[in-house]
Amino acid sequence: MSSTLMKCLSLANTLRTATLRSLLTSQQKPTLAPWGAVVPALASHVQAVSGIHTSAASLGLMEFFDDPKVWSENEVKVGRAWKPDELRIKSNKELHQLWYILLKERNMLLTMEHECNDKMEVFPNPERIDKVKISMENLETVVRERNKAYHLLETGETGERPQRLVHNCFGLRYMYKSCEHVLPPFMNIKWIKSRNVGFGGRAVRKFLLQYREKLYNEKRKAKNRSRNEVMMILRRNPDFDLEVLRRQFPQVNIDKLRNEDKARGHYVPKIGV
Amino acid sequence: MRITQFLGSKLKNFSNLPKEYIERSKKQVYWKTPREVNYLPRTVERRRFRYTTNRPWTGQFRQQNMPGTMRKKVFVEPVEEWSFFRGDRIEVLVGKDKGKQGIVTQAIPERNWVIVEGLNWHYRRVGAEKDFPGIIIKSEAPLHVTTDVRLVDPSDLQGTEFEWRYTEEGEKVRVSMRSGRIIPIPETNNQTHDYKTPKAYIERDKDTPAAIVGEITFQPKLATFEMDIMEEMDIKEERTPAKSYWY
Amino acid sequence: MSTRWYPIYQRGNPQLRVFLPNFWMKLVRPTEEQPPNVVTFAVSTEMTKHDVKNYLEKIYKVPVVEVRTRIALGDTKRDQTYGYITKNDDVKIAYVTMPKTEAFKFPDLFEKKAEQLEKDEKSMDDSKEGFRKFLERNKKRPGTPGWFSI
Repeated sequence: MSSTLMKCLSLANTLRTATLRSLLTSQQKPTLAPWGAVVPALASHVQAVSGIHTSAASLGLMEFFDDPKVWSENEVKVGRAWKPDELRIKSNKELHQLWYILLKERNMLLTMEHECNDKMEVFPNPERIDKVKISMENLETVVRERNKAYHLLETGETGERPQRLVHNCFGLRYMYKSCEHVLPPFMNIKWIKSRNVGFGGRAVRKFLLQYREKLYNEKRKAKNRSRNEVMMILRRNPDFDLEVLRRQFPQVNIDKLRNEDKARGHYVPKIGV
Repeated sequence: MRITQFLGSKLKNFSNLPKEYIERSKKQVYWKTPREVNYLPRTVERRRFRYTTNRPWTGQFRQQNMPGTMRKKVFVEPVEEWSFFRGDRIEVLVGKDKGKQGIVTQAIPERNWVIVEGLNWHYRRVGAEKDFPGIIIKSEAPLHVTTDVRLVDPSDLQGTEFEWRYTEEGEKVRVSMRSGRIIPIPETNNQTHDYKTPKAYIERDKDTPAAIVGEITFQPKLATFEMDIMEEMDIKEERTPAKSYWY
Repeated sequence: MSTRWYPIYQRGNPQLRVFLPNFWMKLVRPTEEQPPNVVTFAVSTEMTKHDVKNYLEKIYKVPVVEVRTRIALGDTKRDQTYGYITKNDDVKIAYVTMPKTEAFKFPDLFEKKAEQLEKDEKSMDDSKEGFRKFLERNKKRPGTPGWFSI
């Protein structure tokens, strides 16, 4: 089997040279799936599993499992996730390949986690799933950034899905995300009818009144909570640095609170000393 | 939560776990709306946790925060700049080890705590069963950073007050108030569960070497990601998309 | 545009292509006994039979003859503490048939786990054994400290 290992997680400050590069040079003729998925040709990273599974299909399916060496391990150590800055310096081709490496790794981890849960065993290092997820999110962000830059340069628009603020039937504003249509808006009677929402009337006014009251109450309670927090801190530590409190709780009037009974601790203040 | 406090500070996360994982592992969701279009994403979950020496991703943490248990709120006073790091030499100001100096082995910023090696300890019995009394082990109790400990001046090895100041290079450092000497942040602070120093990290099978990570392969090109990949893979596409409308 | 946005298709448009698919797929142990060339997967609910087939053929290079799918209903449970009724998400199960010549047996991942566990518990067992010996020795002279011995 190919000794090239898929590198899916990175750790800076390490110096070995076995690699993603060798993976890139072993590029074969590209494949194009009929369903439209564009899959890069990747070197196989599955090690030969001793004896039992020898067919090509089994080798492919064994990619859903971790390395047999770590099956009974209690701890499987890996590096950290890819950071956006590391992905920004990589070519599109490499990002595309990395995506599939990460995808396979995620499938492998999900399979292992499922089996561990099934057998009532502890899944070692579950943070690996999060690391792969973070890497995938970062990769997608980077791809999106590049596409945005291209569209801004070519068309002056971001090329993102257009959004605008609209009112719904309850009179609340929200971001309406546009959809792609074949027909222009004036011909699309069905859409016009569905979008023709107004608001108003007694019920809506009553709803809005109560809704705003709810929002106000939340704000008020949050303010009260931080006020209580400050009082309790002052009560426990009478000499606490007020500047720190002012910075941490900008909404609370600290000077007024200092004279509150609740903020006074259970001690007799020294008078005239 | 207060996790922001220790992410913003110079305190290095010893566990080296991504914060998404920490959040996910301590989460207790009792009820959530189904994943359907007619529901807004709402959850009923535990908001208040009791942080102790057990870290949020461990089973003991979950044991201490079992569903249905509510414990009295702990008022943690805000600390603006975390100043006690793993490897720091500190002096204990309270308890049976008052006046002794020791090395910080663990910092718990959720509670403003540090644990000092070999100081402020008690005996603890673990693994007791019906016909076995268990094993006695020494375990260190945490110390409060604002009242129970103070830093030790490296010049005369005496406890001292300190202040955060800027050097001429613009670096933020701790300075002893008594002797004016800089108290450097120890190298131990950068140790994690995975490596002692980043250089000493043992590379695993699935890690990409640093040289490859740092390699710049991006070539600016007037093409979207999709266009570039199609060109790379020799996919010819002559057809132009019909006009569509966004609204 | 997000790579997750799938554009509408009109006749004569360029072929729609997915460059960064984010479907997940996990190989699960079959609950019922299956022929050796049938593999069970749990997959994203959005995936179709064709998606499963292409996913396996293109990404994992596994030859696929037929795919049958069903949607397994998520478990409904009552929260033990608060009494909320919760339901797990539905999951799509795909039964993938490979050519007759192929065979796949779900491996036993935890064969060596028992040995590992024994090793971990050894020190505790040792101290328990030591305590038992100490009791045995001190049967006829109760109250003697552990360090006192002839």
